Amino acid sequence: MLDFLFGQLVATHATFDVVTLSDRTTQALAEDPWLAAGYALLGLAGVGGFLSLLGMALIYVERKVAAHFQCRLGPMRVGWHGMLQSVADAIKLLLKEDIIPDRADRVLFLIAPVFSIIATTLGLILIPMSPSLQVVDLNIGVIFISAVSSFGVLGILLAGWSSNNKWSLLGAMRAGAQFISYEISVTLSLLVVTLFAGSLQLSEIVQSQQDGWWIWRGHIVGLVAFFVFLIASTAELNRPPFDLPEAESELTGGFHTEYSGLRFSFFFLAEFINMFIASALAATLFLGGWMPFHIGGLHTFNGLMDLIPPGLWFAGKTTFIIFLIMWVRWTFPRLRVDQLMRLEWKFLLPVGFINLFAAATLVITKLYFFPW
Amino acid sequence: MNLSGANIDFTLLLPEISLAICGFAILLLGVTKRGKDFGFGLGLFGLIAALAFTVQQWGTLETGFFGMVTKDGFSSLYNIIFLLAGIISLLIAQTYLRAKKIDKPEYYALVLFSILGMMVMASSYDLIIIFIGLEIMSIPLYVLAGFHRFNPKSNEAGIKYFIIGAFASGFLLYGIALVYGAGATTDLRLIAANYHSMAQQAPLLLYAGVALILIGFGFKVGAVPFHMWAPDVYQGAPTPVTAFFSVGPKAAGFAALMRILDFGFDSMDEIQSVLWILAVLTMAVGNILALFQDNIKRMLAYSSIAHAGYILVALTVGGEGAVASGLYYLLGYTFFNLGAFAILTILDTRDGTDSRFSELTGMASRHPFLATLLAIFMFSLAGFPPTAGFFGKLYIFSGAVEGGFIWLAIIGVMTSFVSVYYYLRVVVACFFTKADHPFQQVAMNPYLALALIITAVGALGLGLFPSSWIDLSRQAFASFL
Amino acid sequence: MDKVEIYLPILIMVAVGALIATVLMGLSVLIGKRTRSKVKMQPYECGVDPVGDTKHPVPVKYYMVAILFIIFDIEVVFLYPWAVIYDSLGMFGFLEMLVFVAILITGYFYILGKGALKWD
Repeated sequence: MLDFLFGQLVATHATFDVVTLSDRTTQALAEDPWLAAGYALLGLAGVGGFLSLLGMALIYVERKVAAHFQCRLGPMRVGWHGMLQSVADAIKLLLKEDIIPDRADRVLFLIAPVFSIIATTLGLILIPMSPSLQVVDLNIGVIFISAVSSFGVLGILLAGWSSNNKWSLLGAMRAGAQFISYEISVTLSLLVVTLFAGSLQLSEIVQSQQDGWWIWRGHIVGLVAFFVFLIASTAELNRPPFDLPEAESELTGGFHTEYSGLRFSFFFLAEFINMFIASALAATLFLGGWMPFHIGGLHTFNGLMDLIPPGLWFAGKTTFIIFLIMWVRWTFPRLRVDQLMRLEWKFLLPVGFINLFAAATLVITKLYFFPW
Repeated sequence: MNLSGANIDFTLLLPEISLAICGFAILLLGVTKRGKDFGFGLGLFGLIAALAFTVQQWGTLETGFFGMVTKDGFSSLYNIIFLLAGIISLLIAQTYLRAKKIDKPEYYALVLFSILGMMVMASSYDLIIIFIGLEIMSIPLYVLAGFHRFNPKSNEAGIKYFIIGAFASGFLLYGIALVYGAGATTDLRLIAANYHSMAQQAPLLLYAGVALILIGFGFKVGAVPFHMWAPDVYQGAPTPVTAFFSVGPKAAGFAALMRILDFGFDSMDEIQSVLWILAVLTMAVGNILALFQDNIKRMLAYSSIAHAGYILVALTVGGEGAVASGLYYLLGYTFFNLGAFAILTILDTRDGTDSRFSELTGMASRHPFLATLLAIFMFSLAGFPPTAGFFGKLYIFSGAVEGGFIWLAIIGVMTSFVSVYYYLRVVVACFFTKADHPFQQVAMNPYLALALIITAVGALGLGLFPSSWIDLSRQAFASFL
Repeated sequence: MDKVEIYLPILIMVAVGALIATVLMGLSVLIGKRTRSKVKMQPYECGVDPVGDTKHPVPVKYYMVAILFIIFDIEVVFLYPWAVIYDSLGMFGFLEMLVFVAILITGYFYILGKGALKWD
């Protein structure tokens, strides 16, 4: 039976050629500059539209999920089942008055939300959503994503400091401390996957999971790394139960207390898009990204799975993780600052190191779960 | 990745490894309740183990870790100097730290890590490894300078040393980068081999790089235009730390300088005139400013600057004989300078002392033995026969004359005549000044006595049998020629 | 693919991100109405007049966290290149990592024992 399940080499994999959008543009540039410009514009419009649509959709989903967890209906009035609620909110925020407090540091106050948005955009363009839907495929992808994601916290620190408001400053300090603490755990779990895949390039990491997603193939190590990554990146996103930087019952609005209108919505948007990035990254690194689900030896089953387009696989996995993060939000109470720090420094950090050590042992003994 | 040329032989690093392990053990034990008292013992054990391993390595010539680590006679002799300095300063430290209520296990760990850095500095031909060693050495030293946390002067010393040290490291690294730009290598062996083509292709990069490296090490050894930090730091730091400062980092700096200037850039003739000026300035300023000091620690700070000048004379002359005499002098200096500081430390363990000259009055009648030792160390510092100081200076200056640097030798001898005044001032204060108030008794213990015996035997032994020791340093130096 | 050009899209993306943000903000300034009043422009402090200044020292524990971050995260980032070529390094790479992490863990236990991670 086992032999039937795992024993044979999987021969019927569909092969995927990775073509990024920037590849297409470069190729087109040689033949037809107008086509290249078209691709580039398409990419830009795509990213811009994706950014705003995704943000609005996620906000809607969050409200619906929250409502159903609490046995409510959530937004129902605008559009069918309140589908257009986010659009209405966006228009409302656009029309709101922009306030810059007198004591604020004007320049930094204005720049801060831009920082957040830029960091978010940069993270987004590296995600391989399907073999042909990725803007740019850097060979240092994993490092790049963790680098730009820590760029976002600069926006938060700037916002908190420049507001010249005590709540803002406290929130910003907490955000900084929280972010850099959990960054260590994120790095440690990213290292595990890098170790398995032997590459930092996201498309290569996806393709290395052809024989099995790292969450399965890496025994328990992959699973532990996955959960450490989920917990730590939830904390990095400043989402409940780790939302101390903007704990409304203690700090009013935290670092964005003084922000209103569109500038506030930028932080809001960035937060939701970052959630998407983190989920997409988790899906890419641990759940095989756009790679279909395969079981060794079951050719018919594998063939069936290959029929589902890769983009759909990616979307499904990411949605699942987003739902997981929302589920956590509406289930657990908020942590105290000391609990937050203890969780990272006294629990996740040692676990991460032990896990890395276990991963190194696994790789050197070639003891993957699927031995072929 | 091809690891065939690596020669990964960890026995090569046994001295360093034993220091690191003992340092970590001290740190880890230090956070437990009962482990705090092991700091001194473990520190001493680590140093002695490292000394044993180093002596065992004596005479070998091995390269390992992709050519990054080189263990030869030169590195062995220097490592012995560092370890001796560490052992002596550790022996005198505990009593002092207990008296000042700052006896924390971290002190011993920091000393160990610092010595580890020095040893790394002395045992590599690679500029990057030398730089890493320098950083491992310096960072613990910054902390050590400010170790007396509740004393503002110690804090000042720590901050000052940190800022100046970071600055010097920056210079050094910049210099290394420029040299790398000129020759596309940081390996001194390759630099020495390709020197002429480098000098032809990119003379500006090369000269600027070497100048910056020289400035960086100038700060570390306290050569004159870069010496301003020394008196304040020496005065402010806890006395056993000052003792360590005056020997360890200085010797390490000279180890790196000798490897860089006498091996890597041996063909660079222009460097001699720069070193000439540095040596003259260092000897003159150090000795003259020492005349005006009221504080013995400060006086010894300037005197250590002056001694750096004498060794710079040896470096200026270059070649086997001169540099070997510089090595011999450094070995002797380790003993007699540490001896002087040991006695100063013992005096400083009393309350309310500030190591002023006036505090020495009446010492001879109360502690004749200590006073005699102090006199011996002062004579040695001043360069009276038959001490190590005399023969060291003799070899250095005769070497300078032989090498054609007659004026350098004359200036050196004249400045060391100047130095006699302030060294003898200590002796006069001890023996011949009438005390207007009774001399406050000091407490002795076996560790202090051991430190004094080692230093006194070293200072006199090196002076009584100079030729065998100079042969030893000649052997050490010959290993990389 | 190893050329510098591959970073060009990223540069463009930075510009686009900044552009979107600035244009939208400009739009909201144009559309939104503005009324200023002295009270409105005060920092929000739960309705009372703001007390004192914001620019005062922050608890030292935040700096401790920052320093520890430097130690751990930067050291861990050093492991990335190691992880990429780990397969070809074999046992040597494993041992080297062990030594590296052991030194890091020693530091971890030291700061743990010293109470640097106590947050109250």
